[in-house]
Amino acid sequence: MDVKRDRIQTEGQEGVESELLTLNMGPQHPATHGVLRVEIKTDSEVVVQAIPHIGYLHRCFEKHAENLDYRGIIPFVDRMDYLAAMNMELGYVTACEKMMGQEVPIRAEYIRVIVCELGRIASHLLAFGTYAIDLGAFTPFLYAFDMREKILRFFEEISGARLLYNYIWIGGVWNDLTDAQLGLIETFCDEMWEEIDKYNNLVSYNKIFINRTANVGVLSEEAAYQYGATGPILRGSGVEWDLRKKRPYSIYDRFDFSIPVGSGEQGSKGDCWDRHIVRMREMYESIKIVRQCLKGIEAGPVMSKVSKIIRLPQGEIYHKTESPRGEIGYHIVSTGDKKPHRIKVKSPCFTHVSLLPHLAPGLLVADFVAVIGSIDIVLGEVDR
Amino acid sequence: MHEEWAALLSDRVPDCEAKVVFGKAGDKSIFVASPSLHRVCTLLFSHEDFDFHVLQLITGHDYLASEETKDTPAQRARIEVSYLLTSFRKNHDLILKVELPRENPTLDSVCDLWASANFQERECFDMVGVRFENHPDLRRILCPDDWEGYPLRRDYEVQKSWHGMEVEPEHKMNLPEREFEKRQKEMAAKHGV
Repeated sequence: MDVKRDRIQTEGQEGVESELLTLNMGPQHPATHGVLRVEIKTDSEVVVQAIPHIGYLHRCFEKHAENLDYRGIIPFVDRMDYLAAMNMELGYVTACEKMMGQEVPIRAEYIRVIVCELGRIASHLLAFGTYAIDLGAFTPFLYAFDMREKILRFFEEISGARLLYNYIWIGGVWNDLTDAQLGLIETFCDEMWEEIDKYNNLVSYNKIFINRTANVGVLSEEAAYQYGATGPILRGSGVEWDLRKKRPYSIYDRFDFSIPVGSGEQGSKGDCWDRHIVRMREMYESIKIVRQCLKGIEAGPVMSKVSKIIRLPQGEIYHKTESPRGEIGYHIVSTGDKKPHRIKVKSPCFTHVSLLPHLAPGLLVADFVAVIGSIDIVLGEVDR
Repeated sequence: MHEEWAALLSDRVPDCEAKVVFGKAGDKSIFVASPSLHRVCTLLFSHEDFDFHVLQLITGHDYLASEETKDTPAQRARIEVSYLLTSFRKNHDLILKVELPRENPTLDSVCDLWASANFQERECFDMVGVRFENHPDLRRILCPDDWEGYPLRRDYEVQKSWHGMEVEPEHKMNLPEREFEKRQKEMAAKHGV
């Protein structure tokens, strides 16, 4: 009884005139995850056209970066994607290190991977929790935030901040982890694994959830390429592409993990359910990586010697890493000065917002909310 | 690899003047002449050796003319636009670059090849002021529609007021920070750090 998605017919009926209704979703709207405004034109309940308007959170990070030295940029990088700040830092820092030819102690690399994978879990938990809220289920949100809080507490313990860490530095990490803290992560991993099973039973394989998300907002592989989608969106469309595997950075080549892809289990390939389940399965993979890290971590220093004033050699670099939302790329142009000439950030969410006009036509307004949620937008990163 | 690509590009698009550029470190990039950009992109998109089916980023870099100093080489005034192309199928990347004059820079849009170019070109127009011909909807994207100037130009100065609102009111500026910067500069000049 899939009645709800039948187009409501008004055309062709005599005496009935229909016209499009313009509706502004946002900038203050609970389903837009921040300050995104989508101007939608609707024919009764059906979306005909969607035009995203962004820039409400625009701080012009790139202009700030022109006036800062390379170390001073790291806190600004945090503030772009404030839900996965560790991953943003790693991308920027590895780009600088690659350009400088800077060595990093092996213990620092392990710590980086641990915090980044925990950051990925925290970010995916938030995506999962808010997605359930978007679809009208409140309880999963509380479960998700309960576990996310544990990760944030841990980050607070090691770096002093809950969201914006400034923890990964050029040449290593700021602070070492103690054995007690490593033990804490181990117990957290066991707990988290069972929690994800619970979430899957509660939400992912729930009949109502599947009805709301399967076959909605289908993104084909070809369209994903055309719009430059990356991360869980691309993998949800069935493309096995993960930078941690295909272009290993840091020490990701040491770990054994798999890339979950969408296969159209509950509906068709590339629908909202696929994008959701890719995130859920990635959390398992992250736990696997963290466990391998805990086994392999070696004693040693966590910071190598870096000169007081960092100068990148003249040239340019485009370095990309896998953040929870997709590929985060840093294009750094240096003229050999102690300040960068220009830093451009390739933000995955910015490209994903451009998917909305492609996915929207023909959806119900409530399904459009499901599509926005499944794309997992962070507006701090879209507007930079 | 870049040298082979440049040779192939020069072979297929004779007027593109492809040349490989490499700084002291980092990534190599290929420069092409700006009038041939669309033809080069079509070739990169469709030729099986390149197979660049994803456009990830379009950036503009503004350079003012400057003299050579101890650390930096001399520059001429120009705008460079970079296209970051990727192939997931072949697992390779390319930075394609064109050079434009600072006054009235225009380029052909590549929206017909990659749909992602739509937003990227709008951002490049908004921030650096490069006009893209044949773009379906060239509006500002991050700044308000009636904003003046292009923020990421090196000589950009922010406008005084917008719709009757003062843009940088003195009482809201972070003065201690400015004082600190000033002192830092003085110290640097004094001690030569």
